[in-house]
Amino acid sequence: MIKLQEVTKEFNLDQQVITPVKEVSLEIGKGDFVMVIGRSGTGKSTVLNLIAGLIKPTAGTVFVEGRDLQTLSDRDMSKLRSSDMGYVFQFPSLLPSLTIIDNIAVPASFAINKSKDGGRKRAKELLGMLGLGDRLDCYPRHLSAGEQKRAVIARSLMNEPKILLADEPTSDLDEQTEREIMGLLKQINDSGVTIVMVTHSLGLVPFCTRAYSMDKGKLNLTHANNKSGAK
Amino acid sequence: MSIFRLAYNNIRGSAFRSMVIFMCVLGVASFLLGTTLVISGAQNSLNVGIQRLGADILVVPEGAQTQVETALLMGKPTNVWMPDSKVAEIAAIPGVEAVSPQIYLQSLYGAACCSVSEMFLVVYDPATDFTIKPWLEKELGRPLNTGEVIGGSYIFVPTGQTSIKLYGYNTDLVGNLEATGTGIDQTLFMSTATAEAMAKSSLTTAVQPLLIPSGQISEVMVKIVPGADRHKVALDILSGVLGVVPLESPNMFGQFRHQMTGLLWGFVAIMVVFWILSAVLIGLVFSMAANERRREIAVLRALGATRFYVFRSILAEAVILAFSGAVIGVTLATFVIYLFRTYITSSLGMPFLFPGWGSFIGMVAAGTAFILLTVVLAALWPAYRVSRMEPAIAARE
Ligand SMILES: Nc1ncnc2c1ncn2[C@@H]1O[C@H](COP(=O)(O)OP(=O)(O)O)[C@@H](O)[C@H]1O
Ligand SMILES: [Mg+2]
Repeated sequence: MIKLQEVTKEFNLDQQVITPVKEVSLEIGKGDFVMVIGRSGTGKSTVLNLIAGLIKPTAGTVFVEGRDLQTLSDRDMSKLRSSDMGYVFQFPSLLPSLTIIDNIAVPASFAINKSKDGGRKRAKELLGMLGLGDRLDCYPRHLSAGEQKRAVIARSLMNEPKILLADEPTSDLDEQTEREIMGLLKQINDSGVTIVMVTHSLGLVPFCTRAYSMDKGKLNLTHANNKSGAK
Repeated sequence: MSIFRLAYNNIRGSAFRSMVIFMCVLGVASFLLGTTLVISGAQNSLNVGIQRLGADILVVPEGAQTQVETALLMGKPTNVWMPDSKVAEIAAIPGVEAVSPQIYLQSLYGAACCSVSEMFLVVYDPATDFTIKPWLEKELGRPLNTGEVIGGSYIFVPTGQTSIKLYGYNTDLVGNLEATGTGIDQTLFMSTATAEAMAKSSLTTAVQPLLIPSGQISEVMVKIVPGADRHKVALDILSGVLGVVPLESPNMFGQFRHQMTGLLWGFVAIMVVFWILSAVLIGLVFSMAANERRREIAVLRALGATRFYVFRSILAEAVILAFSGAVIGVTLATFVIYLFRTYITSSLGMPFLFPGWGSFIGMVAAGTAFILLTVVLAALWPAYRVSRMEPAIAARE
């Protein structure tokens, strides 16, 4: 489903070149729930961006569903992102001038098969499922951090993705909310969605099928659960 | 989500940036339309005024050229005289078909019958006249009787009265000429017989008697033979008749036109500088916004927006701001000029006649299109750059 082959990413800063991802190879199958754990600044988000094709590797190849992302046109790449990938951002990413329901419906306007109602029906369903059914017409600033995260997850599910890329979906949240969100991701994974999740919290490892720790540009396998049964 | 809705939300989301661009566009749009209106209004006024004069050549006493032009242009009263023997001399020039003398009477200040403070009195000769006559035939169907007058568009009978009293003599206003924006609007036309009756009665009824020098006229209207060369006829008058200056009507108000052209270029220069600065500012504002928006754009891209979509959404913002700024600026300028046209034109010393609907709509459309085009051009490069940027999804702050 996702394959990284000897992938390196360098950033050119003013004075120096930093290499947060160094010759990383990784294979993720359908239905996997992979966690990438590490301290901040170790390149976890960069890995997710590479998988999403938002940034290009300096060297190496990224495959998603058997397609070499380098070879895709911007249009095809956007199409792939829109139809097959959901993305949960590390930073607050709801558009502040849109209501929650409009925010959640945004991906529908990039979908290949556009629904007549602009995705509002599905957006409503998703928000209901995530316990935000009564906040449809609120603006993001009126929602708590946990509610915003849930709304972002709802948005990432809008176009029924096959892959969910979640960048620290539980950071800055209290334990109770963290557990709720992890339960939600588990449920999503159980329904067949492949998940790649970034976190710096070791305590969440039991939820995944495999966990890697990231350090000095490398990914090291640290856990492999046969079936992610632990709760 | 339609691209315009997204753009609109972005505009609302960054109120200060949007306001800067909007104000720039509004300023330029209103200035552009304002100056175009004033200048085309003056042009329009001159053309209509010259048409109203209805002569191919105006012959005035030597040295009185500027005085007469000012009188006709702004309604400034004037006193110019030449012997009436000139009429026959001019008529004898080859290429001249008809001649008719006119007399400028001593003007009245502070007349109550006029919405302007000065009124310009012109006496025409019904026996030879060819400039007032067509209007009389069309509108009245008969010549003016003694005691009857027609006025420019600003002339009216004072409320509560039935006639206009001049030098103690009652005249009946039987019609008004169409507006021209020039001094003709504050002119009262009367026949020789009326002027004589007025002069006679003024001896007994007026505080200050009206004196018409005998054997003197102020100017001669000349109509040329169809197909004759106007310029050649004018030259022949100049060389053949002593003490007069022929003014070819299309070239009249030359000095004024010259001033107006100077003013126009001044406006154009200010406009160009102002607009280049605005375009640079707009481009800069869009570029600066680029960094601040990297995240938002990264979000859109991650949700499936193409680079082209991002590019278009930024252009859409530019279009919305430019269009609304232009429309509001144009409306504002139109209102201001319309409301203060008298004040503006008198302080600029220019005649003014609001252009017809057709040319007005043309101006508005051309101005809006011009502004839209430049704003879009100014935003083009920043929009392209932003759409090409690598999305910054890492939290690096
Ligand atoms: N677009 C970018 N340009 C330059 N440097 C970047 C960019 N994105 C990330 N980096 C740098 O790469 C390193 C890894 O960043 P990131 O992947 O966000 O780490 P993490 O998600 O593990 O905290 C950091 O030092 C960060 O400053
Ligand atoms: Mg990160």
